[in-house]
Amino acid sequence: MAIHEIDPMADDYVLAPQVATWRDVLQRVSRNRLAILGAVIAVIVIFIGILSNFWTPYPYWREALGPTFEGPTLAHPLGLDAAGRDILSRLMLGAGIAIEIGIGTSALVSVVGVTLGLFAGFYRGKLDALISTGINIWYGIPDLLVALIFVVLIGRGLQNIIFAITITRWMDMARLVRGQTLALREREFVEAARASGTKDRNILFGQILPNALGPIIVQATLIVPAAILLEAFLSYLGLGVQPPTPSWGAMAAQGFQALQLAPHIVLAPALALSVTLLAFNWIGDGLRDALDPRMRR
Amino acid sequence: MTRGTLVYLGQRLVLVAFTAFAVSSIVFIGIHQLPGNAFLSDRRESPEAQAALLHHYRLDLPWPTQYVIWVTGLLHGSMGESLVNRGVQVTPLLLREASVSATLGACALLITVGLGITLGVLASTYQNSWVDYLATTTAVVGYSMPNFVIASLLVLLTVTGFYRWSGGTFYENIGWGKPEQVIVPAITLGFPFASYVARMTRASMLEVVRQDFVRTARAKGVKPFLIVVRHELRNAMIPVITILGPLVTGILTGSVVVESIFGIPGLGNEFVNSIITRDYNVVIGVFTFYAVLIGLANLAVDLIYPILDPRIRY
Repeated sequence: MAIHEIDPMADDYVLAPQVATWRDVLQRVSRNRLAILGAVIAVIVIFIGILSNFWTPYPYWREALGPTFEGPTLAHPLGLDAAGRDILSRLMLGAGIAIEIGIGTSALVSVVGVTLGLFAGFYRGKLDALISTGINIWYGIPDLLVALIFVVLIGRGLQNIIFAITITRWMDMARLVRGQTLALREREFVEAARASGTKDRNILFGQILPNALGPIIVQATLIVPAAILLEAFLSYLGLGVQPPTPSWGAMAAQGFQALQLAPHIVLAPALALSVTLLAFNWIGDGLRDALDPRMRR
Repeated sequence: MTRGTLVYLGQRLVLVAFTAFAVSSIVFIGIHQLPGNAFLSDRRESPEAQAALLHHYRLDLPWPTQYVIWVTGLLHGSMGESLVNRGVQVTPLLLREASVSATLGACALLITVGLGITLGVLASTYQNSWVDYLATTTAVVGYSMPNFVIASLLVLLTVTGFYRWSGGTFYENIGWGKPEQVIVPAITLGFPFASYVARMTRASMLEVVRQDFVRTARAKGVKPFLIVVRHELRNAMIPVITILGPLVTGILTGSVVVESIFGIPGLGNEFVNSIITRDYNVVIGVFTFYAVLIGLANLAVDLIYPILDPRIRY
């Protein structure tokens, strides 16, 4: 759903940021307080997600634990939902789902996008024209609608949803890597590698990829919140992860039905979702600032 | 309008039509491979009635034949008949709904651009002050809040909140039809994108304010407000308009969620309902409409570029 942010430099022959050492980057990120806060929140959410596989206060599916729509109490700190299920337990499991979707999609998009981008940028010619046309056409297609159709076509399993989101999200990464590769392939060290008879495969993955890694990592970080958001929309519309597995979007959708009677049902997943997205956006922005020499103050 | 522009316009229109056709063909073929149909879930019908229905909608034919029939219909401007609301033609239905979506989208776009530019200009004018931090934070929070979260908060505030504060005299329900009912959905739809515009405006304003012509204007004593509006903002807008295309796509896509939250009878709401009820003709129809709308909106944006930035020519 998020609009594809156009980086005006991505298509041009820009020089990839020269990263002196990763320690230098880490140092600059750690001076960014919001990025650190984001990292802390992200670690907590990931921890809760893992923990929820082994322990939740109540089973997430057990209904009628108390009066339905009950507000927060000591026994149920976040209250009960329309079926009398413990919202905290469901929220914890939802964290696991969100993280799995976010990181899974990010990994898959990175593999697809980096491969396509590297080949398009390195070999240029017809292959590049094909991939670039695909990217441009794909940008004109509404991502949520495509994801919805795909979920209907291939089913609502977790992997299927990751696959569906990847299909709508691969272009940003491919475009970025293509631009980086176009710039890097003209550099002296690549020329030197080619002159000394290095195989294409080794130039691509041994020379170009490591030097484009900075922007790739930033992009991969920013895909995490985008994927979580898209899954939340799918769930909200009733086509996300199969119930009763709780996803934050689906919980919010159920809560919205009783918004005026029991606002806590919608507020809990809404807040969890917003804070998680904010955290990953902060990390991504922090990394971008640290890696981008144009932003240096 | 030079000849080059006309040729460009023609090429783009052909591309829009081609994209819409390709996309809807893929959806058509994909969706006809699915098991089940629209008549299985509702009232139990006898096998004979089922077969008659399938025959009436030609769903008993092999899909390549159906595809040919569909393409023939499309060329005649007909996208068939709804499978769920029998007897309802898809094309007029969707045309009506498209106007609803377009109204909502236009209002949201106004809010996006207005709010985004205001926040961005404020943030850059008072760089590193509390105004800047407030505007920047609003922007980050904006794109980290899904539509339905904003919707929930706004509904709580406007519907429930106003009702309680006014002691029950003021009650405005969500829905569609009255002019004032467009405000809350439009804010819901426009706010997350306003934050992109704000970020973009802030960044490009910060670059522009360091330019020589701004210093010249200041040196010759132009009022600060006029410097911002006439000299800075005009030049700062150029990078911002490059995201107008993706912005319009985003708003149109976002309307799917917002319409189904507020029960607005637009294309997005229809899309979700038709997918759930397996009303294939409508699913394909809405998808085609979206592809065309997005293509045309992007084309409109591309035609605006050269007006705003004379350096761009087609």
